[in-house]
Amino acid sequence: MQQVINVFLIGISIGSIYALMSLALVLVWRSTRVVNFAQAGQAIVTTYIAWEVVNRSGSFLMAFILAVAIGGLIGGLVESGMMRTLFKHASDGPVAAVAPVIATLGLLGVIRALVGLIWTNEGKRFESPVSTAGFVIGDTTLPFSRLNLLIIFTAAFVMIVFSIVFQRTNLGLALRAAAYNPEIARLSGVKVSMTRTIGWVFAGAAGAVAGILLSPNDSLTPYSLDVLFVFGFVAAVIGGLESLVGAVVGGLVLGVGLSFITFYLGTSLVFPTAFIVLVVVLLVRPSGLFGVKGARSA
Amino acid sequence: MIGSFRKKGLVAASAIVAIAGLALAAVPAQAREVGVTATSIKIGTTVPLTGIAGPGYAKVAPAMKAYFDYVNANGGINGRKIEFIIKDDRYLPPVSVEKTNELILKDKVFAIVGALGTANNLAVNSRVRLGSRGVPSLFVNTGFSGFADKKKFPTLFPLFSSYRMEAKIMGQYIKENFAGKKIGLIYQNDDFGADALKGFESAGVKFDVSLPYVSGTQGAATATTWIQKMAAAKVEVVYIFGVTTATAAAVGVAAAAGYKPQWIFGSVGADATTIVGQTTVPVALLNGALSMSFMPDAADTTDEYVKFFREVNTTYNNNATFDNNIMAGMNGAMMVAQALKAAGANPTRKSLIAAIESKGSTWASAGYPPIGFSSTSRVGYTGFWIGKYNLTGSLIPVEAKGTIFTTDSGNGPVVKTTSKRPALPAKGLPN
Amino acid sequence: MLKQKRDKSSKREHNPYRRRLLFFILLGWGLLLLGDRVSELRVYQGALIAIYALAIGSLILLTGYSGQLSLGQGAFMAIGAYAAALTQIYLQPPLIVTFIAAVVVAALFGAIIGGGAARLSGPYLAGTTLALALGLPTLANLFSFLGGETGLYFDVGIAPERFGAEFTLYKWFFWIAALATLIMLFFIQNILKSRYGRAWKAGRSNPAAAQLVGLQVGRRKVLAFTISAGVAGLAGALLGMVSLVAPSTFTLSLSFAIITGAVLAGLTSLTGSILGGLVLVVIPEIAEMVSGNFGESEAVTANFPGLITSLLLILTVLFTPNGPAEQWHHHKEKKKQKALEKAH
Repeated sequence: MQQVINVFLIGISIGSIYALMSLALVLVWRSTRVVNFAQAGQAIVTTYIAWEVVNRSGSFLMAFILAVAIGGLIGGLVESGMMRTLFKHASDGPVAAVAPVIATLGLLGVIRALVGLIWTNEGKRFESPVSTAGFVIGDTTLPFSRLNLLIIFTAAFVMIVFSIVFQRTNLGLALRAAAYNPEIARLSGVKVSMTRTIGWVFAGAAGAVAGILLSPNDSLTPYSLDVLFVFGFVAAVIGGLESLVGAVVGGLVLGVGLSFITFYLGTSLVFPTAFIVLVVVLLVRPSGLFGVKGARSA
Repeated sequence: MIGSFRKKGLVAASAIVAIAGLALAAVPAQAREVGVTATSIKIGTTVPLTGIAGPGYAKVAPAMKAYFDYVNANGGINGRKIEFIIKDDRYLPPVSVEKTNELILKDKVFAIVGALGTANNLAVNSRVRLGSRGVPSLFVNTGFSGFADKKKFPTLFPLFSSYRMEAKIMGQYIKENFAGKKIGLIYQNDDFGADALKGFESAGVKFDVSLPYVSGTQGAATATTWIQKMAAAKVEVVYIFGVTTATAAAVGVAAAAGYKPQWIFGSVGADATTIVGQTTVPVALLNGALSMSFMPDAADTTDEYVKFFREVNTTYNNNATFDNNIMAGMNGAMMVAQALKAAGANPTRKSLIAAIESKGSTWASAGYPPIGFSSTSRVGYTGFWIGKYNLTGSLIPVEAKGTIFTTDSGNGPVVKTTSKRPALPAKGLPN
Repeated sequence: MLKQKRDKSSKREHNPYRRRLLFFILLGWGLLLLGDRVSELRVYQGALIAIYALAIGSLILLTGYSGQLSLGQGAFMAIGAYAAALTQIYLQPPLIVTFIAAVVVAALFGAIIGGGAARLSGPYLAGTTLALALGLPTLANLFSFLGGETGLYFDVGIAPERFGAEFTLYKWFFWIAALATLIMLFFIQNILKSRYGRAWKAGRSNPAAAQLVGLQVGRRKVLAFTISAGVAGLAGALLGMVSLVAPSTFTLSLSFAIITGAVLAGLTSLTGSILGGLVLVVIPEIAEMVSGNFGESEAVTANFPGLITSLLLILTVLFTPNGPAEQWHHHKEKKKQKALEKAH
């Protein structure tokens, strides 16, 4: 029983990181109908910056704040720089539907190469800001550590901030309106192009948090967040790709599920399981657990 | 008709570009052996500099280069400077194949030296066909016993004592010292691990918990499952037969989880500086862990070879933190230099292999056990000494210094004996 | 105007099959002759170019002609490679049978996955195939007969003795890869010019209209996926022949490289696939030359090719989304049209 709780808690911890990446993908999708394949790439940049700041100043908090700010900035720049040009040039023609995928893949490649050029491909060790030693209850030590706790709290904090912004502010109202129906939103005076950029900014910030939470106590390379992207995508699809709540629930469900698989069946089943979940959700309930039906063709 | 040809213009254009690309270079005529000129001799290696096995092992090739630079600064080999090319294969066998192809075709090396990894070397030998093409592969950085098969690998020379020997010797130690205790094994699930399993079998050791891992997955997440399973089964002795990053992950997670078994580290996964560098565990935590080696410990500055390698390291290797990886690199390089020298004034690939077969067993190296090279044998070192880590991460022999256990990769007995290692030659250069 | 176009196309169809065959035979003959005149390195690279060209061709078939983007061609290549290697290890049939097995098994998987994929579009399909590319190779570690991370050897042996002692390993690879690729490209070219190909194109540019005129877009999409997977499977077997049949041969980077090659070559022109293969082999060469000027830093050698290709990828999709070749073609057509309009 104790082991089950252990595995569950670890799953919640990793799942909340997936949830953040999933949130980022959903935010971008809602604002521009694009799946940003460079989302994890953007997070890699901010995570390396955080690593550099931690190494130089020793302050994890400062690194965190800086990474989130730069993450938002990169998101905004990518949208206003690359994506707008793309929509202008590649709006028709046979490959218009796949052009955003290709462009964001290209961006991912550029980011990785630049990160590799600046920091080399050698794995960097990202020291954890808090102890990774498990909590001790009685005479047993749990694998669940302060780091896991920090991850859960930070992710929860970010999600609460997001929900306040979306539910309680005018900006949130505009963002929701633009996502729901851009035409009507435009007619009611919402600057849709603005909300698009803001969607990418929030997504960049959420992705930055995910990257910085996943990396401590592990090796950081230009490729180390690939897996985060895939699991974030699966989580987003489970949640329906439209729903912010769905993104979070999808992330947590996936995290807990994969944690049990890792422990009881072994690591080699993790990817196949994620893939099967993805395909089953897409085929059986394409709108996801939280989505509106018929929203799949884009 | 004409119109259709015009339409095909693009096809023709791309075809022509393709052909032109292929035709860029012509074959130069060769008088000497490949990779050998009047003033230089070119050799290369494939090792992980980055990737999952990079930490620690990335130091091997630069250490080899440092020793070659030292040799070059002292006149080179028979008047030729050694040109040493390092390719990063990230410990991935397909990349090793690709990089070896580059070494042979593009860089045109005389020989491959010190290529690292069991699966990597097996893949290279099969796919690049080093044997049938006569390309020597000297002193591979792996202890897979199968490489001693001269028929299968006619141009390959292993150097390390084999994993089977290791498993037999440590297996006997386990039987003598940990009888009745619960014993667990974590091993790499490929030929590297399988070689050890055979050795354990001949030693008659059984493990209560046996956890294979896939190369590339040895991160903190996987290590957490190892430790949970070991702790749940109340295993008292944990033997990790894997690469250094696997040892580091296991030790790090166990420390965080408060699990303190008697550790045994496999010889190629036991470098203390790498383990400590990859985790937050203090070096003192390794205290009491068992391991084995065929070379002196990197911290043993009373040893003449260690002392010499440390000097080379200071001058030619940017004074990198001296550890077992650097030792292994320089020791292999020293053997390579002696082989190149013995291959004669006009070395060929054939004369190189013949030289190792006839004289290799007598060459100077830091390894304690005897070397088994002969015209019929490709076995390198033939044994180990067993040690325990102290509080500062040095491996201290459990027996008197110089005591070694020798055996073979078959079912031969484990014999306790004393090392009769050749002395360091003058200036550490090949005679 | 419409009438004129039809006239032109009917004239073009005057025995196009035989002309294409002749072209491919000449190209093949030229390439094989060339194999005798260049260094071993170029022959080895030639084999790689052929393999990449075939893989790119499989993606062009899928994306350029049926509008589906797969980020998982690497996965189908892996299936083909494992099929070929396993067939050879357990049955030891003639070489050609192993390659047929690669095509058939990969096509079978393609049909299954395509069945699901036909219902998906755009980013959903891309994301799903991405997960496939990342997840499928890890299966090799689940079943011991797949050889784990060490992989399997797909050993095509050495060239038959009648080719002579001078016939090197790489020339043997090159011959097999170049012939397989040419035959397969010829086959694809013929499909694309057939009514299937035209139907795919119609389904791509306007699914609703195609449905109205009775084209079953869904079924044709599955067929496109199946054929594409089969072609990718052959490319995978060829790559396995030169390299190793292992999970780390068929990485996400390989899938991305193939997309890059396909986009740079022009997603809608099959003939560009050879150019795409060439680009994938040449750019690292150039990067190595450039990095040599920076003191041969490992970081530069490892990352410079990626930087260049990714930048090219972005620029291509931003400014000539249908590929430079198509753009040029388009430009020419427009000019022709203008000339025609003037003449009338």
